[in-house]
Formats: sequence, C-alpha cells, structure tokens
Amino acid sequence: MRWLFDPKLVTVALASVAVVVAGGLVQVSFGAYSMTVGEAWRAVLDPAVLLDPRWLLQFFVGEGLMRSITGFQGELPELARETLIVWNIRLPRVFVAAIVGLNLGISGAIFQAVTRNELASPFILGVSSGAGLMILLTLVVFGSLTAFLPLIAALGGAVAFLVVYAIAWKNGTSPVRLVLAGVIVGTVFNSLQTGLFFFADDIGVVQSAIQWTTGSLTSTDWEQVRMALPWTIVAVVLSLAGSRQLNLLLLGEQTAKSLGMSIEKVRFALSGVAVLAAAASIAVAGIVSFVGLIVPHMVRNLVGSDYKRVIVGCLFVGPALMVAADVGARLGMGVLTGADSQIPVGIVTGLVGGPYFLYLMRRQQNMGEL
Amino acid sequence: MSIEHVNATETDELSGTNETIETGEADGSADASDLDAEELVLSYPTAPEPVIDGESIAAEPGAVTALVGPNGSGKSTLLKGLASQIAPEDGSVLLDGRDVHSMDTKSLARKLGLLSQESTSPDSITVEELVYHGRYPHRGFFERTTDEDARAVEEAIELAGCGHLRDREVGSLSGGQKQLAWIALVLAQDTDVLLLDEPTTFLDLHHQMEVMEIIETLRSESDVTVVVVLHDIEQAARLADRMVALKDGEIRARGAPEEIVTEELLADVFRVDADVVQTENGPRVAPIRARHED
Repeated sequence: MRWLFDPKLVTVALASVAVVVAGGLVQVSFGAYSMTVGEAWRAVLDPAVLLDPRWLLQFFVGEGLMRSITGFQGELPELARETLIVWNIRLPRVFVAAIVGLNLGISGAIFQAVTRNELASPFILGVSSGAGLMILLTLVVFGSLTAFLPLIAALGGAVAFLVVYAIAWKNGTSPVRLVLAGVIVGTVFNSLQTGLFFFADDIGVVQSAIQWTTGSLTSTDWEQVRMALPWTIVAVVLSLAGSRQLNLLLLGEQTAKSLGMSIEKVRFALSGVAVLAAAASIAVAGIVSFVGLIVPHMVRNLVGSDYKRVIVGCLFVGPALMVAADVGARLGMGVLTGADSQIPVGIVTGLVGGPYFLYLMRRQQNMGEL
Repeated sequence: MSIEHVNATETDELSGTNETIETGEADGSADASDLDAEELVLSYPTAPEPVIDGESIAAEPGAVTALVGPNGSGKSTLLKGLASQIAPEDGSVLLDGRDVHSMDTKSLARKLGLLSQESTSPDSITVEELVYHGRYPHRGFFERTTDEDARAVEEAIELAGCGHLRDREVGSLSGGQKQLAWIALVLAQDTDVLLLDEPTTFLDLHHQMEVMEIIETLRSESDVTVVVVLHDIEQAARLADRMVALKDGEIRARGAPEEIVTEELLADVFRVDADVVQTENGPRVAPIRARHED
C-alpha cells in the first residue's frame, strides 16, 4: 500500500478536497435565498440531518428504501429553513458535480491507456455521439419518452460504443482501429444529430437539447445522485482493480501479450468499465466535454504514470474540477452581467479546459505520448 | 529458471563447442525444457504468401540456439510463431510436449518469455517498476507482490547488471540501458524458455557485450533454453551452441557454429563473399563484397 501514501498523491488528494469543500460552500451559500458562509456551513453540518440516519438514507437511497431499511413509518422531524434549502436544493447539485467529475476522470484515464493516446477522452469511442443522437431523437421525435431521457442517453452511448467495437473488429482490434472506428461512428451520428435540430419546432426543445448535449447540472436533485451513485461505485471498484492491467497495456500490445495477458478480453472489459462511468455521468449531466480529457492529464502530470496512482488521483481531481466549474456555471452569469441565469457547465469546462491544455502543450515537449 | 544451479561440468564457454553441446544435452534431459516446432506455416493477414512455409525447428534444451539470416528472411516471424504470438496456419509448436497455442496465455507466459525488438514504456516509470511487470503471469488478478516476486526481480536485476539503474526513470536511460532493463523484465518472468529478438541490434559495443555476457551466463549457469535472433554472425557463432540459418523463410542450414559459418553459406544465404578464419574465439568473418549474381 506504500504507493497510496505517496506524498505527491496525498497532496493532490488534500488540495482537491479543499477545492471541493470551498466550491461546495460557495454553492450552498449563494442563490435566491442568500446566507452567510457561516450559516451555510452550520446548515451543512446540521446534526438534525448528519446524526439522523433516516434523513441521510432519505437523501442517498430515497424515501421508499429508507422506510424499508429503518421500518420508520411516521413523518420525519422538521428541519430548519436554512438546512432544508441547503440539503434539499443546493447540496445535491454539488454531489452530482463531484460524481460526474469523478466518473469522467476515471473514464478518460482508462480510455487514454486503452487507446494508448493521451488525447483520448471518455467520448473517443462514440459514446457522446450515440448519447447525443438518442437525446435529440427522444426530445424531437419521441417526446413521450422524455421521462426516460437519462436512461436512453446512457444506453445510446453504450450502444454506439458496441457499434464502434464491431466496426473495429477484424481478428481482434488495435488502438488505431478503435479510434478510427470511433471517428467514423461519431461523424455519422453527429450529422444525424445536427439534422434532427431542424425538426425541432419549439425553442424550449432546442434549449433542452443544447443543455443535454453540452452538459448541465441545472435543477439536479437527489434523484440524480441516487441514479448515478451505484454505477459509480461499481466503476470505481472495477477501475481500481484493473489498474495493473492498465499499467501493462502501457507497455504495448506485444509486451502485454508475451506476458500472458489476454489482450482483447482485457481491452474490451476495461473499455466497458470506462463506458459505464461515462454513461453514468451522461445520465445525470448530459455530455460534459473536456473534463475527461483534462483530468487524467493533470493527474499524470502531478503523480506520474503509474495507473494505480492515476486512478486514485482522478477520484479527487475530477470532482474538484467539476465542482469548481459548476460554481462558474451557476453563479458566473450573475456576477458578470447581473442577470439571474445559469449556463451549462459544459461551456465552463470547455472555457477552462482549452487554455489549460494550451499551457500543457507549451510546457511539455513530449505531448501526445503516454 | 534456476540461475543459481551452476553446471559443474561446464568448463569452457567459448571454445570446444562440441563438448558444450554434449554437456548441454546431458544437462537438458534432466530439467531443461524442449521447444519443438513441426511443419510450421506462419503468415500475416496482409501478405498473400506465408512467411514461413512448413519448417521444423527444435531448440536444444538448456542451450543457446541462434537464428541468423538476412533482413526479411523470417527470423523474427519464426520467433513470434514459437512464442505463440502468431497463430500458425499449419503445424504446431510443442513446449515440453504441449501445444503452445492451446495453452492458457498466462501459464504459457510462466514457461516461455519473449523479448520483442521494439519495446515501449511510459517514460516516468522506474526500472524496478518495469521489471516488476515481468511478474505479471505469476500473479492472480487481485494478488499483491510476494517475497518470491521480490526475489525473482532481485535476481533478474542482478543478472542483467542494471542494479545501479533501479530507481532511474526509464525515459532518462540510454538505448543500451533500456535494453538491459527490458532484459531484466523477461528474466524476472522466470521462464524455462527465453526467446530474444535481436537483443543487441542498435546497441553500442559496450552494451552489446553486456547483453552477450547475460546470455552466456544463462547458457553456462542455468537450464534455460534460449533462442536468440542475431544480426551479427560472429556474435551468433560465439554465443550459440547451435545455429540455424534462414533465407526467404526456409531453413538453409543448421548445426554447430563452425559448420554453419562457412564461406559457402555466407555466399548462399547472405549473398556476400567473405573470408572465414577459425580462431579460438570462434570463426571470424571478414566480408569482402556483396554478390550481385541474381
């Protein structure tokens, strides 16, 4: 376990936690009902919630499951106004941001190893274009299915990934074939998706589609936390378990094979884990770009290329980036223009991610290799 | 592999090749592994004709077999076929009587190691971390490293002579140092059979000699069956107990180095006119000119 207490990794984790806490505090303090940071802090740490397993279960697993676990049938005790606002409305959004950032981080890290390409993102194998197409189809053509949009989007991403794999397969695959197949599927699906915008006759539908395809955390709730959390836990456990295989993939296909790895099985399984993580984030936040590309980069720069450390680092840096970006998405417009409107968080991640990447590119000579 | 089992009967490393073969065989019948390819047909999906078309080759147990031949003669392909990296179209490769292609990939990797020509790794891992990857086939999915892993890595690093590089990052090493680290990785794999694809090519003289010495140590002090592809015929003759010469995917000659390294064979296989002088360090080849007869 010595690798886990690597000083660099510990520093990265602590700094990320600090960013998440700071960003989270800003998020819970400001809004239509403003309170001081002190009030917000007290509301977050309100013992009426933190020390009451019924409230915690109600939030994290839902009311029905809470009642069957605790056997409690009455009304839950009332909460203070601040506590109610913080816990019911503002805190879940921070949790969702953290979960999305974490999923995109590990998904990107896995895809970068599987394709042996530093510029790979969670969406390199068609996941985003499949999800995007299904989002547009649902909103524009099958309006009655809108309630199932999160599920449909996640499934669309997973199916597109399988199509990419099938196209790339010819007595096995290779990183290059996979990436090319991803480009092929992405191009076709993106065209179809853009074409569907023409058939949207309602500005509301278009805005909703844009929110989903650029990624947004507006009006996320505990329901989103509950939807993503189980899959996230599965993805985290599997990616940690797979980190040794990821390390071996970095030594190249030939070496991995001669050391006895069943390379096709491992590659497909790891890609599956990455798609699961990406799909979980799509289901709750839509297609947030750049996070999955940039987080593994930052982590690798900070802790080195050992994938055990990279994956653990992504578990911290992903949430930090996403929570911070969502502060900008939720409150940025208010600060800049005074208008009471929010922008999709995907726009902020792109605005932050681009320049950071430029900085990396200028600083690093050997960009593009792992 | 048991590097520490010193073969007491082995007295002479470089001269008296015939004796070496005999002791090698006597030794081999006890512990060392057999690697036999029969009527092997190997081809690539992109090429219409098989690269190797029905050749048989037996690696001598516990000894060093060198594959030599001009560029494109199929040496590396044959080696990959022996390592089950290419599925044979026909024929079979038997490792101690078992078909390598039907073996589970991990259990094959515990018995047979392959060092490929091009090896890539992330720049920021240390030599020691790299060598530990050689233990992959010995570990279960969730298993941590054991004392045995640590011992194998230690022995491998010592034998490959890269102890002083242990904590250096692979990206900071020279080509020769990298090759030593990669050799340590396959040694840590702790296999009975070791296949090396041009381990000395592109190295400076010092590192070529380092690599040669590692193979010589394996030959004289262990039961490991080694098959090595070498570009340099003199090196091959000096190092190997047996040589196999390939041209155009066909085995043209096989036998002890002094039977193989002759003026006729150099003319036939390598298409050069050369003088061959037998010295106590093995045959010396002085190339004179390339032949243009065809």
